[in-house]
Amino acid sequence: MGGRIFTVGRNTISETDLVRSIVILSFTICSILISAIAFSRSIPYINYQLFFIPIVYAAYFYPRKGIYVAAVCGVVYQAVGYYYSYPDSVAMLGVTAEALLFVIIAIVIAYFIEKIRSGEARYRTVFEHSQLGIVLFNREGFSVRQTNDKFAAMLNYSEQEILASVFTDLFFIDQEKERFLDRIDKHRETTDFETRLAAAGGAACWVNLSWSMIDDHTVSCTAININARKLAEKLNNDNMMKYRQLTEHSPTSILIVVNGVILYANPTFEEFSGYGAPEVIGKELVRFLDPRDLHTYSEFAQHWISRKPVASQGKFRFIRKDGGIRVAILFTNPIVHANKPATMINLMDVSEKLRLEEKIQLDNDRRRGIIITVAHELRTPLQPILGYLDMLITDPDGFGITDDTKKILERCLVSVDRERQIINQMLELSVLESGKLQLSRAAFPLERLVHDVIDTSGYLTKADISVTIPGDIMLSADRDRIYNVFDSLLSNAINYSKPPRNVEVFYRMGSTDEFHHISIRDNGIGIPPESIENIFEPFQLADAAKLSRKYDRIGLSLSNAKKVIQLHGGDITVESVVNGGSTFTLHLPKVVKSDA
Amino acid sequence: MRKIMLVEDDQQILDMMDILLRKIGYEPVLVSDVRDALDLVKNNPPDLLLLDIMMTPVNGWEFLEKLRGEFGNRDLPVLLFTAAPEAEEKVALLHDPRIAILQKPASLPDLKAGLERFLI
Repeated sequence: MGGRIFTVGRNTISETDLVRSIVILSFTICSILISAIAFSRSIPYINYQLFFIPIVYAAYFYPRKGIYVAAVCGVVYQAVGYYYSYPDSVAMLGVTAEALLFVIIAIVIAYFIEKIRSGEARYRTVFEHSQLGIVLFNREGFSVRQTNDKFAAMLNYSEQEILASVFTDLFFIDQEKERFLDRIDKHRETTDFETRLAAAGGAACWVNLSWSMIDDHTVSCTAININARKLAEKLNNDNMMKYRQLTEHSPTSILIVVNGVILYANPTFEEFSGYGAPEVIGKELVRFLDPRDLHTYSEFAQHWISRKPVASQGKFRFIRKDGGIRVAILFTNPIVHANKPATMINLMDVSEKLRLEEKIQLDNDRRRGIIITVAHELRTPLQPILGYLDMLITDPDGFGITDDTKKILERCLVSVDRERQIINQMLELSVLESGKLQLSRAAFPLERLVHDVIDTSGYLTKADISVTIPGDIMLSADRDRIYNVFDSLLSNAINYSKPPRNVEVFYRMGSTDEFHHISIRDNGIGIPPESIENIFEPFQLADAAKLSRKYDRIGLSLSNAKKVIQLHGGDITVESVVNGGSTFTLHLPKVVKSDA
Repeated sequence: MRKIMLVEDDQQILDMMDILLRKIGYEPVLVSDVRDALDLVKNNPPDLLLLDIMMTPVNGWEFLEKLRGEFGNRDLPVLLFTAAPEAEEKVALLHDPRIAILQKPASLPDLKAGLERFLI
């Protein structure tokens, strides 16, 4: 088709069209002349059928223009017919009917030709504009019979080069060619045959082939370029390898879960659960959980299904293959696994930690139990001693006791009382250390409390005490325990000094407004710098051996006081100069934290 | 004279309290076996019960539960006479205004104050 092209006026006409036009014109002229002769000589054998030759010819190649040709032929035929038939009206009518027949025939032909042409055009469009590569080859010998530009472009060849080749020579590796030959021997039709074809320049092109036999000798094959997908898969695989390396050696258990089903478990999880990976993969994660934690788990799962990273608030119990229980905290991360959204779950095994914590708790409880029992056992025998001493001292005459004996008995009573205090402090310490203490907070005026302590314990008889606290300062604290703190500190301030004893209690505004600062300053013996760090430790006294004998006290009150203040969210600090006195300062938060 | 029943398994304390209670003007009823106590409360009702806690085979709490529970005595004032440190917390949970604690060892003023809390 095609060939040389001529230009006539504004139209371009190909050589073929020119030839056809000449043929149509010649036949038309011939038909007119012959029919004119036939009319003039009244030859009945030759008539209008002659015109069918140019009309059919024209209508076949140029459907629309064929109708014009038929019309022209009809008009001329009618003119000639009328000229010779006049005035025979019957003959004239016949001529007109024959002329009309030309047009009808042209229209019918044009209609069918157009229809066939449009079908052809559609087929051509599909074939040439297809996104699919199409190649037709012979079943025997595999020589390529037809192809489209897409298939050629896929392999970077021209269509001519593909047409000149043998299809089986296009395979990239021989094994895949063998696989293709094997498949085409067994099946007339195949879809989704993935293989590599050799592109120009030696590169490989991944294609997805589908073929079917369109007759006994021809195979029609479509090819889809799947290079991009294969590349993505490869990248994904490379990433998976890296991923795998990370997870396989992770010290925490790692699971990859889709819709609650485990797709991957690392070796640490195998160790954690006692199950091998094949026993776990494909199963639902909940199957390994302690049924008691199912409810919390489903709540937790709601969160990570929403594809946000989450950490479990609580701990989950897992049942091991051997029936044992392990406890873990879960952390989840949304990931993409095998091109699909998935969740990566890290399990942090806290079983050992919990076991140790429980053990420590148990030890603490046991220790506290021992202290309580010991305290009970120490207190009970004091009761008869205390009772008898009280009896004798309150009624010396009744028991015939002299003044000297009474003094001795009074000293015994002081000792019993001290012993009682020591035991009480020991108990208080065990309560403070147990962490189970609930402070009963209430608001009270600070100044009033300090005066209560001084009055009740009669400290004014032992020292000169000045109190400088604004009357409107209110504390929100456990009053009884704060009372004991002031009692201990004032008692210390007095006991650790020689007359004339001066003790100052004063309130100081700090640099920030968050704390009350209350100081108790004495003019006592002071604390040596090497001891100052230890004075808040239980049973630690500054220069313990000497002081305990000299001042008759034991070192629990300061450590208890410090713990009480710390429970309130504050602290006690101390500044001291040897032989220059000490200042103990309480720092108590003004605003009470709800959890303090 | 006000009658004070002392339930206590420590003989030393019983002996001492016997003298001390008389000295300060009360009539002591001494019970060394806690299992006898309920009958005695019924037959010889005291004005106040001084009750030790750490006793065998029935401890003070169990006795108290029986007394207030199946025995049906809800009015008898009880002073828990104990060296057990956790008693205060437990008493607070009972919400019974007629139960208080007298911490062992109690001095004479402690004892007087404790008794006078219910017996004035």
